[in-house]
Amino acid sequence: MASEVNTGFLQDKRLDSIAADILRPVGISKGFLIWMGFLSISLLGCIYAYYIQWEKGLIVTGLRDYVSWGMYIANFIFFVATSLVGMLISSVLGLMGYKWIKPIARIAEIIAVAFAAIAGLVIVSDMGRPERLPYVFMYGRIQSPILWDVTVVTTYLVLSALLYFLPLIPDLAISKGRMGHTPKWLQKTYEILSVNWNHSPQQYKILLKSVRILLIVIIPTAFAIHTVTSWLLAVTLRPGWDSTIFGPYFLTGAFVAGSAAVVIMMYFVRTNYKLDKYLTLHHFDMMGKLLVLVSLVYLYFNINEFLVPAFKLKTADAIHLHDLFVGDYAPMFWSIQLLGLILPIILLLFRFFRKPLPMLIISIFVLVASWFKRFIIVVPTQENPFLPKQFVPHAWLVYQPTVIETAITMGTILLAVIIITVLVKLFPVIPIWEMAEEQCENDHKSQE
Amino acid sequence: MTKRYLFLILIVLISLRLTAQEWVVPAESGAKLSPFAFNDSTRKVGAELYILNCKSCHGDPGKNNVINLVPPPPDPASAKMQSNSDGSLQFKVVQGRAPMPSFKNILSLTDTWRVISYIRSFNEKYVQEIEKKAVGAGASGLNARILLTWLKEKNQVQAIILGTKDRIAQPIAGAEVKLFAKRYFGNLPIDEARNTDAQGKASFNFPKDLPGDSTGNVQLIAKFSDEAAYGEAKADTTLAIGVPTYRPPLNEQRAMWNVVQKTPIWLLLAYTLTVLAVWGIIFYVLLQIRTIYKSGAKKDQKTVE
Repeated sequence: MASEVNTGFLQDKRLDSIAADILRPVGISKGFLIWMGFLSISLLGCIYAYYIQWEKGLIVTGLRDYVSWGMYIANFIFFVATSLVGMLISSVLGLMGYKWIKPIARIAEIIAVAFAAIAGLVIVSDMGRPERLPYVFMYGRIQSPILWDVTVVTTYLVLSALLYFLPLIPDLAISKGRMGHTPKWLQKTYEILSVNWNHSPQQYKILLKSVRILLIVIIPTAFAIHTVTSWLLAVTLRPGWDSTIFGPYFLTGAFVAGSAAVVIMMYFVRTNYKLDKYLTLHHFDMMGKLLVLVSLVYLYFNINEFLVPAFKLKTADAIHLHDLFVGDYAPMFWSIQLLGLILPIILLLFRFFRKPLPMLIISIFVLVASWFKRFIIVVPTQENPFLPKQFVPHAWLVYQPTVIETAITMGTILLAVIIITVLVKLFPVIPIWEMAEEQCENDHKSQE
Repeated sequence: MTKRYLFLILIVLISLRLTAQEWVVPAESGAKLSPFAFNDSTRKVGAELYILNCKSCHGDPGKNNVINLVPPPPDPASAKMQSNSDGSLQFKVVQGRAPMPSFKNILSLTDTWRVISYIRSFNEKYVQEIEKKAVGAGASGLNARILLTWLKEKNQVQAIILGTKDRIAQPIAGAEVKLFAKRYFGNLPIDEARNTDAQGKASFNFPKDLPGDSTGNVQLIAKFSDEAAYGEAKADTTLAIGVPTYRPPLNEQRAMWNVVQKTPIWLLLAYTLTVLAVWGIIFYVLLQIRTIYKSGAKKDQKTVE
């Protein structure tokens, strides 16, 4: 992001056409109502499932004494992971001066906000006594990685929300007078949220400075959030978790999941809102290359994570790796590695597969695989406890998620989709002022 | 080289197999009987002793949840255990055989009988035989007592054995006495077993480097080698003769495993400063939004004017 804004674009005629394009889908439409209705009704079913769990406790799940972290914690790690892409796109690529991320940055921030917000909720779903949540703050120990995790997730959520909101302010002001087709309350909301924005150079200066500070601060925060999440597992001695590279392993995995989520959202925004002028083939091409890059780094960490213990083959590790490579979890493990990592890397090297539709399909595979990857990191380790395995019920040794558990997990995903839908549909999804400014700048350059 | 290893392994395997077989009890020991009848109170004490000393390997009687060892410790309710005579059971408890430890220095003979009375409660067919010459046998009628004193100049612990005969206290000579220091797990033998002299005294060399508690106290236990002859008399005396040792409890100092009030300083600083720094920046940005809001309001007023 430039340090100065040339407010000349405000007088430019093209601002009108850009604003018209981007604001056209904003508002309440029939499709939006049907989609939200579908999501809400599905969510009601999931809330009923949670009501059952609230009444009866975690016994309604497949969680037992040995596998006490199941689908819920895998889901939590998945949510935290996916939310990290906001930092990758806006901060890392943005601060390095890549211009092509401009129309994607807000999409990435929406994903960051939605997934980070729900991540906290996912943790509550894993609590047998959720009313004891305040105890974390009342009796929490600073020595515990769980407290660090609560701290960084909250901080990252606030930073991401600010990074979504601040660049949105000028757009909210621009939308004033251009929102005739939307309901009154939405216009009023825009009015309040635009905090008296009048496009003065002074205001732009403050905005750019604040955004720049946030972009820098969010990098260590994002690193911390997922590194600490990995420490929840890695600070134990258990096979499959007892690893020194768990922090970077999780972090790079997070970028893979997040990039795939961004591609999926780009595709739907582009086709549903007819924004192919702004989300061009070039953007998909670049996102495809980015996905290959982060996947390659993640592949490298995967090789490290499995080859080193497999070479040493300590007894407990041997049992664990046997489960993954040829045992009960082998079909899941190899599907994840092949369909969610190796095949996408190979395919995305070809220009053809970096077109929107092939990218969408590949990204769905990558995202689903990354959910199951978290599952396979969390669950199999616990099925081989450092405790006697004789004379315990079968259910303790083999984790089988129940329908209720699955419904609650689906509910958290639905909630994230609802937040994304609301933000995408009721607010400009592509930064209007940045697009207009960029066009003006390009004109200047070509004139010179 | 490899051959030698193979040979070694073979030897180990054979010896393991051999030891895994019969545990031979001398006929004399096997025929021993309890001097008292087993009843509910002996079984109750026996059960407590069993939980403290035996359960960790032998498990809960009848539940067959024994620990995985070679040879496997039998369940007390099993036919294998119950087929032993009372004397054989006592011999095995007292002597031990790897991996079973010896309880010679941990349980008194009477206590071993109590444990056996508990074990027998899992055998409905068991009918107890009691030792015929039970009461007043040997020297146990002497009502022996053991007194311990510290001879500082010789660095010795002296045991004085007195018996009461015809209401007159008199020293017992020629009795073999053993001295132990009580440790966290079990009793540590001090010096060799000694015989009392004509004055009923036996002296034990005491090591100079034995750790005591924070004031150097060591709990000493002295007893007769031949409990059957002299009875269960036991001295249990605490003397300040060890090296004073202070081990702070693990939760005394600041540590990762301690309560939040005892967080390590470095962690407290790192956490607090980081949180303050990041949230300070967040509040700074929020203030900036306020500045934007205020500057906008001013401009609007100007345009209105």
